[in-house]
Amino acid sequence: MRDLFYDLVKRNGMAVSIYLMVAVSLWVFLLIILPQLTMLDYSFRFNLPPGKIGGPEDVYTLDQYRYFFQGSGSSGGLNTLDIGILFKTLMSAVFVTVFDLLICYPVAFVLAKSSTGAKARLLVLALIVPYWINEILRAFAFRILFGSTGVINEVGMGLGLFDSPVDFIREDVALYAGLAYAYILLMIFPLYNAIESLDRNQIEAAQDMGANWWQVHSKVVIPYAKPGIASGMTMVFMLTAGALAAPQILGGPSNLWFTQLVYQWFNSGGNWPRGSAYAMILLVVCIALVLLTMRIFKVSIGEIKR
Amino acid sequence: MKIKSPTAVIPGIYLALFFAYLFGPLIIMVITAFNSSNFPRVSPWECFTTDWFGKLVADDKLIEGLGNSLLIGVGVVAVAIPIGLAAAIMLSQVGPRLRASLYTIFIAPILVPGVVIGLSTLIFWDRIGTFFNAPYESFFYDGTFLTIFGQVTFIAAYSMLVFLSRIQRFDTTLTEAALDMGATPTQAFVKVLLPFMAPAIGSATVLAFLASLENYNTTVFTIVSSSTFTTVLSSKVRYGLDPSISAVAVIIISITLIGAIIYECRNRYHSKGWSLVVAERPVLKVATHPGSVAAVLGLLAIGAVLFIQNHDSSACTAQILEDKRAIQQKLMEQQSLDTPAVTPAPTTPKLGPLGGEDTGGTSAPSPFGGNAGSIFSPENLSGSAGSTPSTSDAPTSPPSSGVGGIFAPENLTGSGAN
Repeated sequence: MRDLFYDLVKRNGMAVSIYLMVAVSLWVFLLIILPQLTMLDYSFRFNLPPGKIGGPEDVYTLDQYRYFFQGSGSSGGLNTLDIGILFKTLMSAVFVTVFDLLICYPVAFVLAKSSTGAKARLLVLALIVPYWINEILRAFAFRILFGSTGVINEVGMGLGLFDSPVDFIREDVALYAGLAYAYILLMIFPLYNAIESLDRNQIEAAQDMGANWWQVHSKVVIPYAKPGIASGMTMVFMLTAGALAAPQILGGPSNLWFTQLVYQWFNSGGNWPRGSAYAMILLVVCIALVLLTMRIFKVSIGEIKR
Repeated sequence: MKIKSPTAVIPGIYLALFFAYLFGPLIIMVITAFNSSNFPRVSPWECFTTDWFGKLVADDKLIEGLGNSLLIGVGVVAVAIPIGLAAAIMLSQVGPRLRASLYTIFIAPILVPGVVIGLSTLIFWDRIGTFFNAPYESFFYDGTFLTIFGQVTFIAAYSMLVFLSRIQRFDTTLTEAALDMGATPTQAFVKVLLPFMAPAIGSATVLAFLASLENYNTTVFTIVSSSTFTTVLSSKVRYGLDPSISAVAVIIISITLIGAIIYECRNRYHSKGWSLVVAERPVLKVATHPGSVAAVLGLLAIGAVLFIQNHDSSACTAQILEDKRAIQQKLMEQQSLDTPAVTPAPTTPKLGPLGGEDTGGTSAPSPFGGNAGSIFSPENLSGSAGSTPSTSDAPTSPPSSGVGGIFAPENLTGSGAN
């Protein structure tokens, strides 16, 4: 820390170095680390009324985590409801991530390799514009689209695909479509950046040596773009698993997203320690899953950049 | 001319489908904002109407939320930009090992779910407040401050990424040259590095402000009892679908498109090819200047607002209502024919209230049809002086129902004047 500061002073002068150190330390400690530690601390406590906080009953406990695994019954039965919701959230997030990768990879490839100059810039702008529309409004658009009198149902019934309106909301189709839609941009840009820097000659060399299009992608482009793919997938997965607005608006009445459980414990449940414990569980499980996947596909964290 | 093989058009078709997925839902949402149906839908199409915009402007909660959002956005920009800049500069100056670990810490807030950030911010400041025995009105419990802290946590990381991509292209020999020529390190920073970063500061500011405006996951925890534009919108969507939400989307999409068009025009205008084209053509040069494009778009926007305020669809909605009643009448007659003599009398009153309710709901005078035309009348602008009641602009309709009068100065001074 002291060496770092001396180094900064030598290059930027005293006033600027103080600004750099103060700004970064405030951010890292006051906004990032300490709040997370407080939440961790909270998750190991009982839910006490304000008067008893700091009193003799305010001791550390694993009770909140135990609730996640065993529910309210102390008989040792599993809390299948909450565990099931976590599992379903993670599986859905994986599904949405893979879906996004599949639809975005061709777009990123075409953008990076066939478009040049003004056309490419216009396409990129067209990608960004929907991203600036409020998250709530994007979810609302899918609600209209997939509603029982929505366009999809009208068209489907008009074409005779189905006789009565399909409840896409209950079937979670609207939720998946909306979530995949929400994070398309975060998948495309890392892919685009990675593929764009690939030398065209490599593709042409592979083609000259008789590789078909599938081999070009699986042997040349995808291995090269692996950091971009990893970075896009990590971001989409984390944001999907942590999404709150889309599940609240598009989720079926009986299907909850794990973040909604956190929200419920916090707001309607009024149980902050349990909400904290659930948030910690979500965070730890998501990070573990991302690290595990990166280990399997042999990508290191350092390679992940935007 | 080269004839494309069938496989060569596949990328084009794929791109078209992809952009249909990207824009289709937005286009449909925009269309629903102009349908007079009480539920946001495209079909059956009832009437072209602009009443939903009027309903929007009259929504005090939404306007209040927007005000809070703008305040929070400014606060977030003011805190996040200096932090992001400092983080980027620090990353660019440290050794590779420290750089890697610092980068991991700095990037973490982007990957941590927004829910977790919001929750931990709320808990942390609550605990600090309890520690200092702060009263409940202090800023430790204030939604605006908490939301700024919560949002800065990750928006600083966004802006850091913007600064990083710029600072990577910085030629450090410039600073060294300044130092050689006798500048102090501070002077070199202020006179060389900061001006170089200026464009990035501009784009990071826009990015941070927009990210703050649209954030929901963090804000919904940290806002406590206050509200922002997004949280109001979210509760509106959850408690009932209503085309006025589509009207919000129309406004936001329009602003976004205008911004995008001006941005693109600016890029083209400053491109090399274009400056050669317009070198000999002063008229074209003025016409394609981003400023004139912005002026044209601004005029179009004003025209659209005027149109929305003056458009009157009450005749059409009344007609639709009439049709509905006719259908209902037919059904009732059908029903009384189907069940002859058993209970002919009670059927009519039973269905009666339904029809009546419908009438009350939709045939009420259109909020914009009534007195919207008078918004720009001179009386309105001068009328606010003193306690002149607003009788001058709409003598026929009570002030409370005149949505169009929201822009009238009297309404801004509060209802006390009336």
